[in-house]
Amino acid sequence: MISVEAVSKQFSGEPVLRRLSFSIPDGQITALLGANGAGKTTCLRIITGLVKADAGSVYVNNLHVSTHPLEARRQLGVVGDREGLYERLTVAEYLSFFASAQGLSGSELTWALNSVRDELELESLWHRRTKGFSQGERMKVSLARALVHRPKHLILDEPTRGLDVLAARLLRKTLLRLRSEGVAILFSSHIMAEVSELSDKVLVMANGVVVANGTPEELLQRTECKNLEDSFVALAYGRKAEREAVV
Amino acid sequence: MNFTRRMFTAPMRALIRKELLEVWRDRRALGLALAFAILFPGLIAAMIMFALKSQGEKTFRVALIGGENVPVLEQQLSKGSFQLDSLSESDPASLLNNNYDAVVKIADGFADDYRNFRSPKVYLYVDGSNRFSGRGATHVQKNLGELQQLIVQQRLVARGVAVQLMAPWQVQVRDVSTPSSRSTWIFSSIPMLLIMTLFVGCLSSSIDTSAGERERMSLEVLLQQPVEAWQIVLGKVIAVSSISWFASILALTSLMVVFPFLPLAEMGIKHATTVWGAVTIALALLPLALLIAVLQILLALRSQSFKDAQTQLSILQFLPVTLLFILDMSAIELKGPLWQLVPLVAQQQWFKVLLVGDSISVAWVIAGSLVSLLLVVGCILGGARALQRESLLGAT
Amino acid sequence: MLWIRGLLIITLGFCVWVSLAVASSAESDNFESCHLDGWGSSLLCTDLPVGEGDTAVDLAVMIAPAVNDIGREPIYLLAGGPGQAASHLTPILNALHKVNQDRAIVLVDRRGSGYSGAFDCGINREITMDLGVVSERLSECYLEKTTFANALNSRQAVEDLEKVRIHLGHGKIALWGGSWGTRTALLYQQWYPDSLSVLILDAVAPIDTKVFLTARAAENALRKLELDCSEDPICAELGNWRVELDQLLVSWDKSGGANFPDPRSGDRLKVDIPRSFLQNLIRTALYAPETAAQIPFAVSQAGSGNYLPLSGLAGLLSDSGMSVGLTLSVACAEELNRTSSEELAADSRGSFLGTAFFEFFEEGCRVWPVAPFSYKKPEPRNHPVLLISGEADPITPYYYADQNLNYLSGAKHLLVPGGGHINTMRGCVPELIKIFLNSPSEALDTACLDDIQRPPFMVGFFGPEIDIPKTKEKVRVQEGSL
Repeated sequence: MISVEAVSKQFSGEPVLRRLSFSIPDGQITALLGANGAGKTTCLRIITGLVKADAGSVYVNNLHVSTHPLEARRQLGVVGDREGLYERLTVAEYLSFFASAQGLSGSELTWALNSVRDELELESLWHRRTKGFSQGERMKVSLARALVHRPKHLILDEPTRGLDVLAARLLRKTLLRLRSEGVAILFSSHIMAEVSELSDKVLVMANGVVVANGTPEELLQRTECKNLEDSFVALAYGRKAEREAVV
Repeated sequence: MNFTRRMFTAPMRALIRKELLEVWRDRRALGLALAFAILFPGLIAAMIMFALKSQGEKTFRVALIGGENVPVLEQQLSKGSFQLDSLSESDPASLLNNNYDAVVKIADGFADDYRNFRSPKVYLYVDGSNRFSGRGATHVQKNLGELQQLIVQQRLVARGVAVQLMAPWQVQVRDVSTPSSRSTWIFSSIPMLLIMTLFVGCLSSSIDTSAGERERMSLEVLLQQPVEAWQIVLGKVIAVSSISWFASILALTSLMVVFPFLPLAEMGIKHATTVWGAVTIALALLPLALLIAVLQILLALRSQSFKDAQTQLSILQFLPVTLLFILDMSAIELKGPLWQLVPLVAQQQWFKVLLVGDSISVAWVIAGSLVSLLLVVGCILGGARALQRESLLGAT
Repeated sequence: MLWIRGLLIITLGFCVWVSLAVASSAESDNFESCHLDGWGSSLLCTDLPVGEGDTAVDLAVMIAPAVNDIGREPIYLLAGGPGQAASHLTPILNALHKVNQDRAIVLVDRRGSGYSGAFDCGINREITMDLGVVSERLSECYLEKTTFANALNSRQAVEDLEKVRIHLGHGKIALWGGSWGTRTALLYQQWYPDSLSVLILDAVAPIDTKVFLTARAAENALRKLELDCSEDPICAELGNWRVELDQLLVSWDKSGGANFPDPRSGDRLKVDIPRSFLQNLIRTALYAPETAAQIPFAVSQAGSGNYLPLSGLAGLLSDSGMSVGLTLSVACAEELNRTSSEELAADSRGSFLGTAFFEFFEEGCRVWPVAPFSYKKPEPRNHPVLLISGEADPITPYYYADQNLNYLSGAKHLLVPGGGHINTMRGCVPELIKIFLNSPSEALDTACLDDIQRPPFMVGFFGPEIDIPKTKEKVRVQEGSL
């Protein structure tokens, strides 16, 4: 479980997060929604330890990310908004490096690499350098990197962006499998169809606070909208924006 | 020992391996490093050949006008490194324009005047604007001087005068230079070029591994891993310096290979770099390679973008060498103990000494290298702090 | 653990490096930088103590290190005399500067010479004409240092040399010997054949040749000078100066000896000059072609009563630089003892020199009673040997190279036209030496020796004539096995 407790953050005097609090339970997929500038990326970076919170605490599996950064990071798998591949390494070398960085070695390492290769259908790419990979292939390698050490928590920043149909399907399939294995999954997205199909829970952020937190059905109920998109617009931009969008 | 243990953990090894793979597979960086390492001995060889041409033994073309009547002079002038052409009446100026290094003209009635002790004239024409002309003239004077000395001796003997009377004392020139010190001038540029190789050798890869990785966003992923920031910097420094160290060793090795083929001994110059000296140079280059690598990485990390890093580092390439050059020129006594602790200056001094085959104080080399290594450690810690700065990653 | 192993290897490597560093800095500690007159560059010098008690001496060893040491064997120079110091061989060092580019040249002052306890009995710098005075002083000198004088011989010199070779850590060495130095070199070859790579012998004194019988050789050199002079159109005009010389010698005591001018002060010398002085003056002038070229004019002037040129020539030749004690110890024990009066008479008959050279040693050895030292018959040796001779050498004539050296199977002979005693520095000889040292078993192209000529003869008070072409000298070159 990831819990964010009263986290505040300012950038050059501008408050980006204001006493933000939520938790991501195990075995569930949580979607993080928010307009651009709502503080989503900052929030995710605080959870992964790239950015320090000005106030408040973040716990990953009860580990405080500031006081136990290395331990907390071992609990996390992260897929960023860019893949962060090394073009001069092969997929095998790339994944082997991150698995070792996570502390795997020996037969444990081999097993982790083999299983992630099979799960994400990477055989044909395995010994190729990642230069010139398609968007879908890049996403697969990036996801494999996030999963190779079997983290209990997975964070994805707009994972389906630019993916073809097959890759998107594989991603969805994988997320659903991980959920069944008890992994806590947090992903940000703009695609409402995907959110409504995948997520058990939806968090909507606006102006650095969570404005809504619940199952998609609860959100629809609360906003009295027919679909999640309208509901999101209503929550994130307010009623006025929603009406304008309808007109 | 916590630190040492962490130095050798599996994640640390994986980091180093990853950085090494990245750096050594970068064709452009490798090409640049190797090209410089190969170019460098070529440059030195060319320099030495040029020096030899202007210094070493050369056959001078000398024209002798009116020499057919004084065969003894003619014979004397053709001794040694001369190609002597005996010509009848001709214009000295046009002969000098025509590839002659010097023209000797014998005055009319020379032999008669000589026999009658009237000190006849020998005219020596030179072209002062021609570098070889002056040296040709010196050689002519030396050859004529030998004959002159013989004649003076005979004239003194004929009068019953001991030749020693002409030499109230003898001046014995004692050159205290050793073949190694004579060669210092030629070897003094080599340390500079070796240090330059360290800079250029890791230029491309230090930008790629820092500013490049940031731009490709893979740095963010790296920072999310459960490794310490200093470990990340250390991995990069080791990988980046490995390529420049390799380049400098390659340059040194190719120099060692080229040297025996250069006609150094003819110039009275000793090529005495011992294997021990070369190994010491190679070892002493390592701390410097690490220091230069970490400095270049830090600077590249600080810059706004990849392009900006390229501009800043290009300037940095020339800065230290210019500085060393100025120090060299300014005649500051660099042999003092304090300078032995200043990175760059210290290494330059050691290499100069080692290249000519002299030995240096091991204690100072170790002390100086430790100073460099301490700076490396400081820079790595500084780099680690820089990596943790939020602004490093750019927009939120 | 892997990293412990890694650390261990690094530490070990570092220790090796440090010990190498310390070792290499200690290596050159025993040598001091030093200089010799006539050689501008600095040398490495060291002292090696040899002998015990009264014979103890610190041997002076001087090394001109190779400019570029590429592992070629060093060459040792052995000086002549006996009694000359190797440290006086700087002209040879200059001639061999190209050899020095890749070979060290080692000079060792043998015991009793130069910087190795010069044994000169105080007779080094002044010329005394009176043989009686000289032998008196020698007698005192011998009594004063009898043990030292008795111990000096070729065996000792060779043993000392071998000690130096071992001390310097040299493997095989090349030896250059000049004049008496060739004798020492040939003996070294007999006793230490395995320490030797090649021999270069300039003005050879073979082991079985009695080189103190010099009258015939000097006469031949003078006749060669006569021949060369008569073939030179200008020198030929001086007429028959040889007859004038013979007349001078006959009538010397009455004419020249009484009023011979001092070349330094210009005054008449107070003492009568013996005839042997003139004989030895001509002999000595024949050593170098430069001085030999002045003999015809000086003699013909003396013939007409002007002794100044002869006196000038004497002034040119006065300093010998020999350590006379060493000279006598070796000469008396090894040469005078085996030379009979019959042989002396046969040698001096019909020569201008007569016994004038020998009698000094005869006189000297009488007050220098060292025990005879004889050599064994030389055994065959096949080291490459380069013999260098001058056509007009008055002391070790070129034909010595063809006598008593049959036991050498690898010898080549360079004959320098018009050359006197010691020819290493003439013309292309240094170049040929370098080629010989680098490939001792290959044939030498000696054509360049033809270019070596006598310097112009002195023919007038103005010196040499310069405007009439000299005839090219006839050149004889011998090469091949002896």
